[in-house]
Amino acid sequence: MIALIASRIAIMIPNVIILTFLLFAATTSFLGTPAAIMLGEDASPESIAELNAKLGFDEPLLMRYWAWVTDALSGDFGRSYSTQQPVAEMIANALPLTMELALWAILFAFFGAALINSATFLKGFVDRVVAAVSVVGITVPNFFLGLLLIYLFSVQLRLLPTTGWSPWENGAGKHLLHMILPVVTLTTFYFSSFSLVYKAEYKSVENNLFIRAARAKGLSESRISYRHILPNSVLPLVTYAGLSLGQLVGGAVVTETVFSMPGMGRLLVNAISARDFPVMLAVGMVIIVGVMLLNLLADITYSLINPLVRTAG
Amino acid sequence: MKRFSVRLILGLTLLVLVTASALFAPWIAPYSPIQTTTSVLAVPSAEHILGTDQLGRDVFSRIIWGTRVSLQVGVAAAVVAVLLGAPIGLAAGFFRGRIDFFLVQVIDIFIALPALVLALIITAMLGPSVTNLSVTLGVVTAPTVARLIRGQVFVVRETLYVEAARATGASSSWIIRKHIMPNTMRVVWAQFAINVSLAIFTSASLSFLGLGVPPPAPDWGGMVRDGSMFLPIRPAISLAPGVAVALTVLTFYLIGSSMNEDD
Repeated sequence: MIALIASRIAIMIPNVIILTFLLFAATTSFLGTPAAIMLGEDASPESIAELNAKLGFDEPLLMRYWAWVTDALSGDFGRSYSTQQPVAEMIANALPLTMELALWAILFAFFGAALINSATFLKGFVDRVVAAVSVVGITVPNFFLGLLLIYLFSVQLRLLPTTGWSPWENGAGKHLLHMILPVVTLTTFYFSSFSLVYKAEYKSVENNLFIRAARAKGLSESRISYRHILPNSVLPLVTYAGLSLGQLVGGAVVTETVFSMPGMGRLLVNAISARDFPVMLAVGMVIIVGVMLLNLLADITYSLINPLVRTAG
Repeated sequence: MKRFSVRLILGLTLLVLVTASALFAPWIAPYSPIQTTTSVLAVPSAEHILGTDQLGRDVFSRIIWGTRVSLQVGVAAAVVAVLLGAPIGLAAGFFRGRIDFFLVQVIDIFIALPALVLALIITAMLGPSVTNLSVTLGVVTAPTVARLIRGQVFVVRETLYVEAARATGASSSWIIRKHIMPNTMRVVWAQFAINVSLAIFTSASLSFLGLGVPPPAPDWGGMVRDGSMFLPIRPAISLAPGVAVALTVLTFYLIGSSMNEDD
C-alpha cells in the first residue's frame, strides 16, 4: 500500500516539474517581457531593459523558473501587474469558491449517477429520463445551459437570483440560493458522463452469479440493486471522477463566468484579457498542480477501497 | 452497420442541414453578417426573424454564417487530433512494453489536465484565430484519441488473424498496415466525429470567454457572450446562437456515438 502511494508520488514529481516548467517557459516567452507590457508601446528600449533587470527578467529562463518556484513554495506568487495586489491574496480569495462549486458538482454527479441509475426496478422510466438528461448534458455547452437556466428561473419565473454570489458570512441560505443554478449547470455534464460509466459497469455486474443467487433467494429488486450491485459497480466511477477533475475545472471556469462569480475562472479570464502575466501563471500553476494532486488522491482512494489493486500494486 | 439506428438517421439529417447552412450561407442569410445598421436591438419580426443585435446586425444571418467558422474549427481540430493521436496510440498498443509504458504516462498526464484551461492559456499566448484555435484544440484533445486507439489495437493484435499473419512471417509494418489499421478504422472515424463535436463545444466555450475568432466574424460563442447582456429584454440574441452550438455538437455526437454503438 505504502509502496504503491510512494511509486505514484515518484511518477508524479517529475511530471509536475516538467509541466510547470513548460507553462512557465511558454507564458514568459510568448507574452514578451513584462516590462514591455507594463510600460506600453512608447517606452524606450533602455527603460524596458532597466525594468526587466529590476524584475529579474534578464536572467536565464531556468534561473527565473527556479526563483519563481522557490518563491511560490513560500507562498509568494508576486504581484499583479494591473492591480498591484499580491497574487497569493487574490488566489486565496478566489480558490474556495471554485472548490466549493466543483465539490458540489462532483458530489451530486457521483451520488446522483450511482443512486438514480440503480433504480432499475422502476424499469424503463429512469432509463428514459437519464438518457434525455444525458444528451442535454453532453451536447449543451455549460455557458448556454447556464444562460438558459438564468432566463427560465430568474428572468421569467423570478425564483432565483440572476448572477453574482453571496459569501457564507452573509447567511448560508442566501449563499446556497446563489449556488443552485451554477451547481445545476456544472452537475448536468458530469451526471451525464458518470451515468454512462456507471450504467455500463452496473450491467456487467448484474450478470454475475451472486446476483442470480440473490434473486433466487427472493430478495426484492431494490435490495439487489442497492445492496448487491451498487457497491460492486461504484469503483470505476471513482477512477472516472479522478480523471474528469481536469474537465471539471474547465467547466467551473466557464460556469463562473456565466454567473459572474469571483472564482479562479474569472481571475484567469480577467488576467488573460489584461495580459496580467503573474496572475495568469499562478492561476494556471495552481489549477494544474491541484488537479494532479487530486488525481493522486483519487488513485489512493481507489486502491484503499479496492483490495485487488493493493496486492497487485 | 447492418441497420441504420434512429441516432444515426437523426445525426445525418442534422449534418445535411448544418453543412447546407455552411455551404449556402450567402444564399440562405437574408442580410450581411457583419454590416452594422441603425435598427439596433430590433424585436423578432418577419423582416428579422430573430431580431437584430446591439449593432443592428441580423441575428439569423449571423448564425447561418457562423456555421462556417464553427465547422472549420471543429473539423480541423479533429483532423489534428487524429493525425497526432492515432500514430501514438498505434505505437503504444502495438509495441507495448517500455514504449507503451512511457506513452501511457504522457497520455495520462494530458488527459488529466484541464483541456479548456490549457486551450485558454495557449490561445491567449498565440492570439485567437481559426488556425490557432484548430491546432490548439486538436493538440489538447489528441491524448484521448491516442488512448482509445491504443485500447482498440490491444484487442485487434490478440486476434487469430494477426497471430496467423505473424506465423507466416509477416513484418510488423505489414501487420500494422494490413491488419491493425483497417480494423481500427471504424473506431477512429467514430472518435473523429466525437472529436468534432468536442472541438465545437470547446471552441464555443473559448469564444464565450472572449478568446474566440476575433470580431466582427460571426462566431456563436461570442454572440452568446455579447448578447447575454440583453438576456432579459432580447433573449433571442444570446439564446439562438446557443441553440446553434448545441445542435451542431449534437449532430456530430449522434453520428459518432451511433458508429460506436452497433456491432
